[in-house]
Amino acid sequence: MTVVVSLRDVTREHGQVHALKGVSLEVSAGELVAVMGPSGSGKSTLLNVAGGLDRPTSGSVTIEGQDLATVKDLAKLRRGSVGYVFQDLNLIPSLTAAENVMLPRELDGVRSGRAREEALAVLAEVGAGEVAGRFPEELSGGQRQRVAIARALAGERRLLLADEPTGALDTATGDEILQLLRTRCDEGAAVLLVTHEPRYAAWADRVVYLRDGLIAESNAVRLESAR
Amino acid sequence: MSIRHGLLALLSSGPRYGYQLRVEFEASTGATWPLNIGQVYTTLSRLERDGLVAPGGADEQGRAVYTITEAGREELERWFSTPVAQTDRPRDELAIKIAMAVAGDVDVAEVIQTQRAATMRALQELTRAKRAATGGTAQRLVLDSLIFKAEAEQRWLDHCEAVSKEKKTS
Repeated sequence: MTVVVSLRDVTREHGQVHALKGVSLEVSAGELVAVMGPSGSGKSTLLNVAGGLDRPTSGSVTIEGQDLATVKDLAKLRRGSVGYVFQDLNLIPSLTAAENVMLPRELDGVRSGRAREEALAVLAEVGAGEVAGRFPEELSGGQRQRVAIARALAGERRLLLADEPTGALDTATGDEILQLLRTRCDEGAAVLLVTHEPRYAAWADRVVYLRDGLIAESNAVRLESAR
Repeated sequence: MSIRHGLLALLSSGPRYGYQLRVEFEASTGATWPLNIGQVYTTLSRLERDGLVAPGGADEQGRAVYTITEAGREELERWFSTPVAQTDRPRDELAIKIAMAVAGDVDVAEVIQTQRAATMRALQELTRAKRAATGGTAQRLVLDSLIFKAEAEQRWLDHCEAVSKEKKTS
């Protein structure tokens, strides 16, 4: 299987605080990996470093074969390869669902007409086609999360990073969101999911525990994939 | 687990024969608790003894058919309206094991981590079964029930780890 993102001996220090103390992790195409751990264990730092939002203090991060340390335009690589879904969504209130999904593509120089076509297609794919013209405040929590996922997926990005994507959703809606991530994964995306909820981590092929900036175990909870 | 009341519930929607009860019980609980046919007949004869079901002759193929009685319907209604008591559960081996580990000279963190890995594996298997399930809402909710229980155990283990760590450092 193709490795989409690879972290090797990654450390990250914030001043005196060692958020990551030497973490190695790979996520392949078609694989869903969940990272669990108590608050302050370094989960979000791990995700930010894996997606090139933050740079490691030492060690290396490779996305689709490119060592991030050698990449000049990190923002461009991020827009092209990496989709992010955060707990606080970051949907822009003055834009419709479709416009929110289009925005990063337009910033990347894709023409408006094509960006709209892509946005409508990906919204339909995540089951939010009927709300394309609505503004975020007119959507339910589950619908907003679907739009955020659509935005993360637009443009065929193959690495999806999700930080507590089920945030304040009820469990039935949370399951639908995981079903969505799982489907994208089965279609070939690599998904790295940070969650503190065991029920959502259980959708993963592999569950990794982070303790005080270190991976407590990376292989003990491996389950043979059904595929 | 109440097979007795499960069978009464199935009989409340019409007369059935033994094998049919077994198939329907397993279908509605997603085959989570397989029943053998012997259990079905033993339970039926006890229900008959208690006057909650009555043999209703045989169907055209000669199979013995059972019908719920009025007393059976009352018992079923009572069952649905009564909550399940926590004290009906057997002693919890895991809680005892962790308690003994904390009290004794054992690496508690290791015991917790071993259990956590196993519980997560069970949770992953249940989630996979749920994704593959095609048996409708009843089956899905039974699997969800097991998922919620495994999740509760996982959370409790996290809690055990945090508390035993605090105790050690303080």
